[in-house]
Amino acid sequence: MKKLSYLLMFTVMILVLAACGNSEATGSSGDSGSESEGNGPIEITYWYAWGDKIGENNENLVEQFNEMQDEIHVTAEFQGSYDELHSKTQAAFAAGNAPEVTQNEIASIETFAKSGMTQDLTAFVEEDADEIDMDDFNPGLMGNSYVDDKLYGLPYLRSTPIVYINKTMFEEKGIDPASIQTWEDFQSAAENLTDDEHVGISMPVDIWFYEAFVAQAGGEMVNENGEIAFNGEGGVEALNLWKEMVEAGTMRVPGGEPLQAADMARQDFATGRAGMYFSSTADLTLMLQLAEENGYELETIMFPENEQRSVPTGGANLVMTTGLDEEKQQAAWEFIKFMTAPEQTAYASEYTGYLPSRLSAVESDTMQELYEEKPQFKVAVDQLQYGNARPMIEGYPEVVKILIEEIQRLMLDPSLEAGDVLDQAAERSANVIK
Amino acid sequence: MRSAKWRPYFFVAPAIIVFLVFFIQPIFYMIYLSFHDWNFISPDKTFVGLGNFKDLLSDPMFLEVIRNTLMYTFFTVLFSISLALLMSIWLNKQGWMYSFVQGAVFSPHIISLVSIAMLWMWIMDADYGLLNWVLSLVGLEKVPWLTDPNTALSSLIIIAVWKNIGYFTLIIIAGLQSIPKHLYEAAALDRTPPWRRFAKITFPMLSPSLFFLTIIGILDSIKVFETISIITKGGPLNSTNTLVYYIYENGFIFFKIGYASAAGVILLVILSILTLLYFKVLSKRVHYQ
Repeated sequence: MKKLSYLLMFTVMILVLAACGNSEATGSSGDSGSESEGNGPIEITYWYAWGDKIGENNENLVEQFNEMQDEIHVTAEFQGSYDELHSKTQAAFAAGNAPEVTQNEIASIETFAKSGMTQDLTAFVEEDADEIDMDDFNPGLMGNSYVDDKLYGLPYLRSTPIVYINKTMFEEKGIDPASIQTWEDFQSAAENLTDDEHVGISMPVDIWFYEAFVAQAGGEMVNENGEIAFNGEGGVEALNLWKEMVEAGTMRVPGGEPLQAADMARQDFATGRAGMYFSSTADLTLMLQLAEENGYELETIMFPENEQRSVPTGGANLVMTTGLDEEKQQAAWEFIKFMTAPEQTAYASEYTGYLPSRLSAVESDTMQELYEEKPQFKVAVDQLQYGNARPMIEGYPEVVKILIEEIQRLMLDPSLEAGDVLDQAAERSANVIK
Repeated sequence: MRSAKWRPYFFVAPAIIVFLVFFIQPIFYMIYLSFHDWNFISPDKTFVGLGNFKDLLSDPMFLEVIRNTLMYTFFTVLFSISLALLMSIWLNKQGWMYSFVQGAVFSPHIISLVSIAMLWMWIMDADYGLLNWVLSLVGLEKVPWLTDPNTALSSLIIIAVWKNIGYFTLIIIAGLQSIPKHLYEAAALDRTPPWRRFAKITFPMLSPSLFFLTIIGILDSIKVFETISIITKGGPLNSTNTLVYYIYENGFIFFKIGYASAAGVILLVILSILTLLYFKVLSKRVHYQ
């Protein structure tokens, strides 16, 4: 019986916290004004996902913001992966102590907006029209910002997947990375790279890459009516490509828990066992470092095209939570504006490899110098003209889980038919989105 | 002395209040939620009656989850207790070597489960792990351990047994040492063969300890969460998804609180039945001195 209390206590703690949170909010709304008028700055909290370089970047930018002015003080807090960040935000919101500013992984913008957790930012932008130029945000990144024509998030640390290439290995095998334009080029390059000790590419089963290939094949994950469409022609074609490559032994797909599988693929590439690797542009700084440590040259190229060239975008948008008083809202807005301004986006891009989300930032001296010095950074920006939004329907995380599971089933047993596996996933998903 | 009447109630009140607030109220709240459709945030909870339970029981995934949980519990408890029994009979001797080994097998018990999970993820890594490296040294084939649906659950059972064994051994050794020596002396006089001595003296005299360990073991294994959450996230192909992780996943990742609560109610029912079973059936067979 006591064992059950784990969950139960969690539930009750949330209830108790909710009760405390509410009374605090109602009780102190009167004096919180006078408090901040007095002396101390307005305190707001900002939650972010991912550590390492990305975490440092967040901490550094927040520090810059705190030093630049003394009216607002931001406390940045690390919350793990996107999934963890989301569930913590949701639990904290239910408990009445959500952070004022947080990140939404772009596919979850709609879910958060529709459940009333994130603030409609349209009015803030209109009020500040002369200060913030919405046209300066890269249009390829704006697809996941609006819900029902209202703005809910501004592009912050945004990415696209790119193809990382072990240039040294390519040269040994006499392949020119630039020659990889189509799926056939990609497939034959993988074939040429594969021998007893090497494999063409190591790739975890990741929804992002699948989204990319489906779009390249001219298909879609979810159609405009919000219905599952990945079991259409494009989806089957994309999965068939993977299946063929796995069967031919030119693609290695590590199994296991998703983050662990991603780690294994990265190790394969870092240690020179795999010639190619898909990953977010956000990993570029880290991958350059790993390549140097392991003594090979790193190059990046765009995803190959089939029917068309297309890549999903990814990363996080900055959002403001609802239920804040006006003062906190203004403070949160100031902070969001700062974090997404051209200068900061250039800083973040250089620090991590994330995309500069502002067009003017791409033109800035900082970025131009960087592209000159490290051309690997430019690929993602060039590729952005083919960037697409990610599906945002409610229940998508669960659909993703089901789909990944079914694709893994095929990867473990390539004798299955891609079409059957996808139909099965679509059928199971239909119950989820209803 | 009328005042004495309320006095006992006054003294137990803090305990009772804590019990009501933290144990009883949440149970009822969970049961209440299990009849609703709710995403945690929205102000209105839609009443769906037994809908969540119907969905649950018709979901093949949930049946898999129940199966995984029972398999995990059964084998973890079985292996933990039988290995601990062997180990304690071996270690129940005097000497620094034996106390050192006793201490060593106990050490996993005091390490946090999160660290244990990280450690075993590395040990069981299919390509770069210690275990496969050792296997390859002996010329055996690599085992995919955590990444294959056929071996993942067994791998988690190995980890759990490894963690349990020290604590279980300690309890059993304490049980062994409290068995009165005169029983063995009497048996020696009767020239009782060793296996009979074990079956007629050691085992019955140990039964309170073994009974306690069975309860602890089953309850602990049924609510397994940390290792699953860190090592496999219920995968690959749902093969290691267990009840508590399933509840967490539905409640806090997919935000289906009603559905998760319904699964919680089922967990409550299973645990209640097990607890009743212990006390009605098993306890009669346990020999208390």
